[in-house]
Amino acid sequence: MRKEKDYNLIDPTWCKGCGIYGLSSAFKKAAVAVDLNPEQLVVVTGIGCHGRFNNYLRCYGFHALHGRTLPVATGVKLANPGLEVVAISGDGDAYSIGLNHFLHTIRRNVDVTYIVVNNQVYALTQGQTSPTSQMGYVSISTPLGSRECPFDGLRLALAAGATFVARGFSGEPAHLASLIERGLKHKGFSLIEVLSPCVTHNKINTYQWYKEHIDWSDQNAGYNARDKRMAWKRLLNNKRKFPVGLIYEEEKATYESLVLRDREMPLIHGDLSIDVNALNKILEEFE
Amino acid sequence: MIFDISVMIAGTAGDGILFTGNVLAKILKREGWEVVTYRDFPSNIRGEPTNYTIRASLKKIHGRGDCIDVLLVFDCQAVMKHIKRVDYKGVLLCDGEDVLRLSSYDRRGKTFHEFPLRKLARDHFGDEIFKNMIALGALCHILDLETSIVEEIITKAFLSKKGEKIVQKNIQALKLGCDQAEKIVEPEERHPLKRKKDIDRLLVSGDEAIAFATLSAGCRFFAAYPICPASEIWQWLAKSFPSYNGLVVQTEDELAAINMALGASYAGVRAMTSTSGPGGSLMMEGLSLAGMTEIPIVIVHVQRVGPATGMPTKNEQSDLNLWVYGSHGDFPRIVLSPGTIEECFSFTVKAFNLAEKYQIPVILLTEQDYGQNVRTVKKFDVSQVKIERGKLLTQEELLRIKEYKRYEFTPDGVSPRVVPSMRNGIHMVEGNEHDEKGYREEEAENRIRMMKKRMRKLRSVSKDLIPPKLWGHRKAEVGIIGFGSTFGPIREAMDRLQREGVQTKYLQMRTLWPFSSRKVQAFASSCREIFVIENNYSGQLSALLRSQVNDLPEITSILDYSGLAFRPLDILTAMKKVL
Repeated sequence: MRKEKDYNLIDPTWCKGCGIYGLSSAFKKAAVAVDLNPEQLVVVTGIGCHGRFNNYLRCYGFHALHGRTLPVATGVKLANPGLEVVAISGDGDAYSIGLNHFLHTIRRNVDVTYIVVNNQVYALTQGQTSPTSQMGYVSISTPLGSRECPFDGLRLALAAGATFVARGFSGEPAHLASLIERGLKHKGFSLIEVLSPCVTHNKINTYQWYKEHIDWSDQNAGYNARDKRMAWKRLLNNKRKFPVGLIYEEEKATYESLVLRDREMPLIHGDLSIDVNALNKILEEFE
Repeated sequence: MIFDISVMIAGTAGDGILFTGNVLAKILKREGWEVVTYRDFPSNIRGEPTNYTIRASLKKIHGRGDCIDVLLVFDCQAVMKHIKRVDYKGVLLCDGEDVLRLSSYDRRGKTFHEFPLRKLARDHFGDEIFKNMIALGALCHILDLETSIVEEIITKAFLSKKGEKIVQKNIQALKLGCDQAEKIVEPEERHPLKRKKDIDRLLVSGDEAIAFATLSAGCRFFAAYPICPASEIWQWLAKSFPSYNGLVVQTEDELAAINMALGASYAGVRAMTSTSGPGGSLMMEGLSLAGMTEIPIVIVHVQRVGPATGMPTKNEQSDLNLWVYGSHGDFPRIVLSPGTIEECFSFTVKAFNLAEKYQIPVILLTEQDYGQNVRTVKKFDVSQVKIERGKLLTQEELLRIKEYKRYEFTPDGVSPRVVPSMRNGIHMVEGNEHDEKGYREEEAENRIRMMKKRMRKLRSVSKDLIPPKLWGHRKAEVGIIGFGSTFGPIREAMDRLQREGVQTKYLQMRTLWPFSSRKVQAFASSCREIFVIENNYSGQLSALLRSQVNDLPEITSILDYSGLAFRPLDILTAMKKVL
């Protein structure tokens, strides 16, 4: 049985109190719970404070370009479906510059676990407004207050046909760990958004603020995450609060199970050279 | 006796001109002729003028010809448009009566026939769709082609999809066209062709040659976004990859295409993407990532007319700058430019080996003319295909290493590569500047060493690159430099100049980056006059040569940015103005 320290590489240097610490601890808990082999784990990150994640984690890591985590993760997974592939993005990475990839990866239902660290601000670039910042949010990029409506990534995901939609809070790592664990186990694309306070650049959406704006009603008896109508109802509730927990899950064939001819044989294996006679045979169509 | 003939089929997009032309090209190939097709299509599906020229010759040809010998048109507007290109003694068949209104000047030396293709199709078969087969029949009569070959082609194309009845109807239409043509065309208007044997030859487009080479070279992952004129590569791979455990993914855009290919390549599979025009611009970001992360990738860019959406189905060479210089930061890359269909095949195989041996992005830069038009070529020598994966460690080798470093400093700049899932190989692949193990590192000393390590690969690769090829007379004092699909018209123009007593030589640039400036310099210094011929406005190749080669003498640029490929005559005329 592996331990959390098996995933430690070096000590992280995020700002003291950053929400990503909570995610980091939750991720390792989940990895232990499913006994992830670091050598079979690929973590792809984007650009943002979350992007350091795999520099601190012991596993195969790929630090991609801003917004391009999901295409890279998809390529890795399709080439070798035996790997556990986790992609991590921030709210800018996922919902702004990478939004197109977000929706289309959901549509494909590739078996990638996608963690979106949502701090409602562009922290790495010194605090600009993000696509999840609230209407009226004042920042260096919107000194008069943002005039754009924020996105709700979970609603987008559900509308695009996501098969696993969840939200956690980095202030509650144990709860978050259980969501990540379920996401890792889910066969198909799983979205786990993490409400993650930025202690340096976002003085509005603080730990205290999130505590007041989180709707924990997934704990209620009677909620069925396999019921899409219930999921929509939770996401569309009008209480100006973030519903957390596992919102929705369904089973559906993964993209790789549909397109790969031989799932047991990753594209990376096998003899690449084709027999000369076979190649000549192919050429007959041009004769 | 005819040695070289061009048949143009013209009409409106949606007339089925491509199918008719392709069948004709195949018949001519089977009769042993060298064939080159040239499509001049609008970028829409229906309603605009379109034409397809099939050129056949007894000697090797590589591009379109100067004139048209036989013009077959489905509507009279097309006659007005192309009449000037119809050669003396040319034959023209037109579905319509407007030809009679052409001026006697335009008609001089040419024979016109009204040929009611649509009416014949309607009257005999109840459907205008058979006009194409009637047209083919007429062409078979004029060119004295074996209709049995057409019947075989029709059967192959239609039997499984449409059934015996349709096959028979098409064959009847073919015969009808043949008989009708016999009635109206005088014997002396026919262009009977001498036959040769058709042995070990293919009729193939550059896109298809590249796709076939991609499969042969062991590539098993292809991600792309649909775009003219590169989609044929994809379509061929989509058909053939599944039997070889390969995968084709249609991505949401070109950003995803290149990044997905990089992800797959990082995981250990040979990967490729292809694009054109604006798709190339979108890929610039990922190209830079490939350079930084040292992940092998092959990118095929089939050039079309820019800027912006430009003319998506027409020919140009204006993306040289994009791929030689494009994207942010300094990083090594290789840009190859095939000049023949055989080179489309062999350079693609080479591209995959270079990409893996040097862990570097390799770009195959071609043009619409080569991408979509078909040409006869000698059957590819597939026994020459060798798959070289470079410093890709085995599990045993990796286990023997005490501390694996993905970006280890090495004399040739290439570090041993492993793929995820291997034991003892954990590392980072970083788009940020990184240390030998791949972890982010911004210290100046490391930065300088890492830049030098990556850029060193350009020096290491030089021995492995495809050198420029010299054609013509070594001692000639008139020199031509070009790249890609200008190969055909340049070679033909050279032959004609030779007949007129002017000796020339031609340096075919086959690697656009990096290239040996020494070889270009040696070539240039032995010339009295140098022409650089390219299909773009600004002379991108000239500018590249000037930036890399010292003491280049004055260059005369011959440029064409009309969207059409050069004809030999265009080059001949432009050169003669100077010589």
